[in-house]
Amino acid sequence: MMRRMSKKVGKLTGSLAAVLAIAAITGCGSKQEAKNEQGEQIYRIGISQFAEHASLDNCREGFLEGLKEEGLEEGKNLKIEVKNAAADMGTASQIADRFVADQMDLICAIATPSAQTAFNAAMDTEIPVIYTAVTDPETAELAGKDKKPAGEVTGTSDRLPIKDQLEMIRQILPEAKKIGILYTTSEVNSLSAIRVYENYAEDYGFEIVTAGVSNTSEIAMAAEALVGKVDCLTNLTDNTVVNSLPTILERAKEAEIPVFGSEIEQVKLGCLAAEGLDYVELGKQTGKMAAKILTGEAKASELEYEEISGGNLYLNTAVAEQLGISFGEELLENAEICE
Amino acid sequence: MSLIITTMEQGLIYGILALGVYITYKILDFPDLTVDGSFPLGGAVGAALITKGMSPFLALLLAFLAGALAGMLTGLIHVKGKVRDLLAGIIMMTALWTVNLRIAGTSNVPLFSQKTIFKNDLIDRMFPGTLRNYATLALIFVIAVGAKLLLDLYLGTKSGFLLRAAGDNDKLVTSLAKDAGNVKIIGLAIANGLVALAGCVFCQEERVFEISMGTGAMVIGLASVIIGTSLFRKLSFLKTTTTVFFGAVIYKLCVGIAIKNFEPRDMKLITAVLFLVILLISTERKRKVKGNA
Repeated sequence: MMRRMSKKVGKLTGSLAAVLAIAAITGCGSKQEAKNEQGEQIYRIGISQFAEHASLDNCREGFLEGLKEEGLEEGKNLKIEVKNAAADMGTASQIADRFVADQMDLICAIATPSAQTAFNAAMDTEIPVIYTAVTDPETAELAGKDKKPAGEVTGTSDRLPIKDQLEMIRQILPEAKKIGILYTTSEVNSLSAIRVYENYAEDYGFEIVTAGVSNTSEIAMAAEALVGKVDCLTNLTDNTVVNSLPTILERAKEAEIPVFGSEIEQVKLGCLAAEGLDYVELGKQTGKMAAKILTGEAKASELEYEEISGGNLYLNTAVAEQLGISFGEELLENAEICE
Repeated sequence: MSLIITTMEQGLIYGILALGVYITYKILDFPDLTVDGSFPLGGAVGAALITKGMSPFLALLLAFLAGALAGMLTGLIHVKGKVRDLLAGIIMMTALWTVNLRIAGTSNVPLFSQKTIFKNDLIDRMFPGTLRNYATLALIFVIAVGAKLLLDLYLGTKSGFLLRAAGDNDKLVTSLAKDAGNVKIIGLAIANGLVALAGCVFCQEERVFEISMGTGAMVIGLASVIIGTSLFRKLSFLKTTTTVFFGAVIYKLCVGIAIKNFEPRDMKLITAVLFLVILLISTERKRKVKGNA
């Protein structure tokens, strides 16, 4: 009796799989030239985000704001589909494949692996890809040496204003000698940022001390070891490190050294200061580029990738008070203050 | 249509990985975690060699050998070092993270400007016009079927017979005056060779090597093997080495459906539930068989 039942269940799963397969097959439609009530064309955009992450979420929000400023609004003449790969390459590639199969008007890819999989999937089609939060589009082979796109693909880079950051640290800490940087060995963006730090550090009289980790569980120990050796820490946009920022801030607080951030969210969390990126702004800039492509004003392959226009200075006065550091008038004047 | 093609492509690539997991998990009864490291190892070797200008086809072969070496080391740690099977795999997986970074140079190597097995003059000539859309799938199919047939052939030889015996009854292997440990090492080497081969094909198809590509590879392989062997158990005319490919394609299909209808962040839970249901069905049957005896 039991055996017969399990046989039935087995058959059931079999037919379930078949139904699912059919659902998947019939599910992929062909291109819909949708129009809204006013008869305007509705553009369809697929957003492929690599991971759940505050900065990347900001990029996405900024992207939609940027489109809105150019008159493309969700619900009116824009249809948006957001998919998140949960930091898995295979999933990112399947998301890109689906957007291509659905013949989206444009694919927006957030972070390097998503950008690469989207470019790969859309390569032999007409679908343009616009990326954001890609630190080095040239190393990622999304653009050539002269910022020229490698195909129908362009976007914005979140390269950090590292020289400005070093100058700011020098201004705030005139006596400091060693800057510590925590990074994940698997993040190509972090490695290239560290190279830039090391190139410029000497110009400002600093020495860079790095500590690499392979995953979140190693952060506490690495931070502990690093804070004893340096005068301050500075952050990159390293995903693993940024996600564990509270742990790092805790260790730095015990050692009474400041931590410098790379964007506003980190200063809000308790970093002393940052000459950094505003990912919402970066997203907006990307959204405006996307609007140009969608409306046919320019082709993606004709647009050079852009970097954020001008870094912003963020200061946290509450943290400064705790550390007994005072910002100069000049700094305070140009900064956005978080408390 | 193109979605079905890409799902098949991914399913067949992961099917090669599943062949490897089939050898360790089903034949040797060895929970081999080396897979999470040997899958990207294949990718790293492929990416490094291709960017240096080597033939992408030769890179496949060398990726297989690199994976086989990694599997052999896991086997040596387990058999000669008497380290438990699970731990031996974890040690190798951890070590391979560094090895992969060293081989590839960085954590992300794009291959957009390189010739791969899927993008070269020969393929362009063989698949003109609209046929080009099917070229990638056709090539993956050939590699997958090739890997399967070679494995079938091997399992039919004396050495292959010993491999199958080693999992069920290693006393039999010893009674034939053979060292069961060596047989295990060979099995692990072949398994991880196949896994690395899959990694190399995946990385050429995606045209990018990414260090994190191996995370969860073992689970996907295991899921494919279990789905394949459980669902198609009744169809005895299908070889197990064939059903693992069906398992992998079904797994990828489920991911595709989940992407369409659910948030991808729910994917792991959906996989786990699917996994559990299939396991429950297959253990139900086992228990009943024992009860009858």
